[in-house]
Amino acid sequence: MAVMTEASLPIALDGARKVRGNLTQTRIRWMIFAIFIGFSLVGGRLVQLGMVETDTRIEGQTRDVIQASRPPILDRNGLEMAVDIRVPSLFAEPRRIIDVDEAAEALLTVLPDLDPQWLRQRLSGDKGFVWVERELTPAIQERVMRLGIPGIDFITESKRFYPGMNEASHILGSVNIDNQGIAGIERHMDGENVALLQELGLARGNALAPVQLSVDMRVQHVVYSELLDALTRYQAIAAAGVVMDVNTGEIVAMASLPDFDPNEPATALVKDSFNRVTSGIFEPGSIFKTVTMAAALDSGAVNITDQFDARFGIRFGRYTIDDFHGKHRILSLPEVFKYSSNIGTIRVMQAMGKENYRAFLTRMGFDQRVPFELPEMRLPSVPKEFSEVGAATASFGHGLSVSPLHMVTAYSAFVNGGNYVPPTLYKRAIEEAQPLYRQVLQPRVSEYIRYLLRLNAIDSGGSGSRMNKLALGFRVGGKTGTAEKVVDGRYSSSKVTNFFGSAFPLDNPRYAMIIMVDEPKRENPQSGTTAGWNAGEVTGRIIKRIAPMLGIQPDFRPEVDAALVPPVLR
Amino acid sequence: MIQKFNLFLLVVATVTLTSVYVLKFSIEHTAGEKRALEARIEEQEAKLSLLKADWAVLNQPGHIAPIVRRHQEALQLAEVSPKQFGSFQDLPMRPAQPDAGAMDDLFEMLEAGVDPIGAILEEIE
Repeated sequence: MAVMTEASLPIALDGARKVRGNLTQTRIRWMIFAIFIGFSLVGGRLVQLGMVETDTRIEGQTRDVIQASRPPILDRNGLEMAVDIRVPSLFAEPRRIIDVDEAAEALLTVLPDLDPQWLRQRLSGDKGFVWVERELTPAIQERVMRLGIPGIDFITESKRFYPGMNEASHILGSVNIDNQGIAGIERHMDGENVALLQELGLARGNALAPVQLSVDMRVQHVVYSELLDALTRYQAIAAAGVVMDVNTGEIVAMASLPDFDPNEPATALVKDSFNRVTSGIFEPGSIFKTVTMAAALDSGAVNITDQFDARFGIRFGRYTIDDFHGKHRILSLPEVFKYSSNIGTIRVMQAMGKENYRAFLTRMGFDQRVPFELPEMRLPSVPKEFSEVGAATASFGHGLSVSPLHMVTAYSAFVNGGNYVPPTLYKRAIEEAQPLYRQVLQPRVSEYIRYLLRLNAIDSGGSGSRMNKLALGFRVGGKTGTAEKVVDGRYSSSKVTNFFGSAFPLDNPRYAMIIMVDEPKRENPQSGTTAGWNAGEVTGRIIKRIAPMLGIQPDFRPEVDAALVPPVLR
Repeated sequence: MIQKFNLFLLVVATVTLTSVYVLKFSIEHTAGEKRALEARIEEQEAKLSLLKADWAVLNQPGHIAPIVRRHQEALQLAEVSPKQFGSFQDLPMRPAQPDAGAMDDLFEMLEAGVDPIGAILEEIE
């Protein structure tokens, strides 16, 4: 045997126990090795995973934010004024794009408005996500998908859409591309709670309860279209109007021209498109005489039966204040109002005293912003203290500037029984409005004001008669105001801002309205430029159309007007 | 004994493994179906939102007014005048009882062979 021949080596036989021990050790080593391999694989994978940068953010925003939705806005009858639509937005993943030039060229066939240079730069690089074009239409999405470019895809975004287009632009405001309100009621809603919901990621899908406004889109349309008509008819530079429910304080319609398209927020930046009703302050002119009358009658210093000497102008130092088309005789109080006598109004104001008059303006809220939802508000400009001449001019609406919203709120309080009710853009029931009432006039004085307003519309020579002819049967009363504009530091008689403050139906007042027409021209050579010719006629045309919508029955009986006359004057 | 037990464990392990994998794949399948459904819902919601927006546009007074104006002549539409409004109080009340005398006259005329409507028609001709 070979083993035997190499017999120099001693024969070594391991014991069974030793053999077994060696085997176990080898096995343990192999096991340790296997476990080590296993753990290093897991560890290596962990390190690898740690190195990967997960890109969940889309240019600074997470998906939740861009899909965040806003509650739909409805008008008082449930018609949509603002809705969310889901639209596709085109994005690219540059690191997955193989041929940038080819991709860019293909995209330009569908989206020719893009700048080729910019697009090529956008698509090259190693980014994980870039926007190409946001908020496209489904048709374009379809065409881009057909191109089949790798690394190009769509994501669904929520976009705000305003089906009424320009009609309620100043009420609604607009949102930016990230669905945050930047103006109007949209901005106000964000201040309330929508922004918080969006932040928490709760505002997704259609879960948000709709917000109902006080606006009636039918009325809004009429006001808007009549103001649009006024712009061309009188070649005015601007026009604005607001209709308010005198009992609840709800704003039923509010329009200001020139305006913007809320679907294209950039158009809101165009000059002069600001909301003249809330953020425009103007010298109100003679519509402010109603305020003076209410103040004097409420103070008790003046009676509806009093007479005032309007024979001569009133001198203040170098200035003499006279009447426009003055009667120059002794006028009764209703005549002072009807003929819009500056002299008479100054006498009425002087009878109550300028301090009391100033205090009444504070009571009517002419010192501060009207409490209102829109963020676009401006402080009125009313002198803290009146000089003799300051108080005199203020009594007929010069030397102080307030917004049309101030005026409509005041007119509402004057006719609704003397209760100041803060205006609102949200739907409000009469029961909710009543606790907010603040008595500013005695109910008796409110009746006098109703009579004066109606008298101005029905009596011959009243400045509201042109308006009344257009809206017969709806018991409208109102006051004109022709405020001369300051041009180069002087009042100009050719450039005027015209107002018409009205309320209807005066036997049971429900709505107050202020219409403003800025720098109107004559409609034809026979007509004039004072407020009765333009702002007054616009008011008449609007009321003729909106009164039936608002459920007001025409009534031609003369008894209705006769009942408005205070017993002392019958 | 041990061998049999091992064999049993092996079978159990195989069965469990297979069933776990079957479960896993079926869940993945269901999840895929769910994702597809969700995508479809989202797509349809998007379409629905567009349709709703369309509906809202079509209902806007500002959209309807030009249509009315366009068809004003064909449909003989005109703005309602305040004079055209009436109330139920203005309607005369229905007569308390039929005018028996007039009815008797009418029947007598018919019996006598006079056709009052025919006479009117002849007059027109």
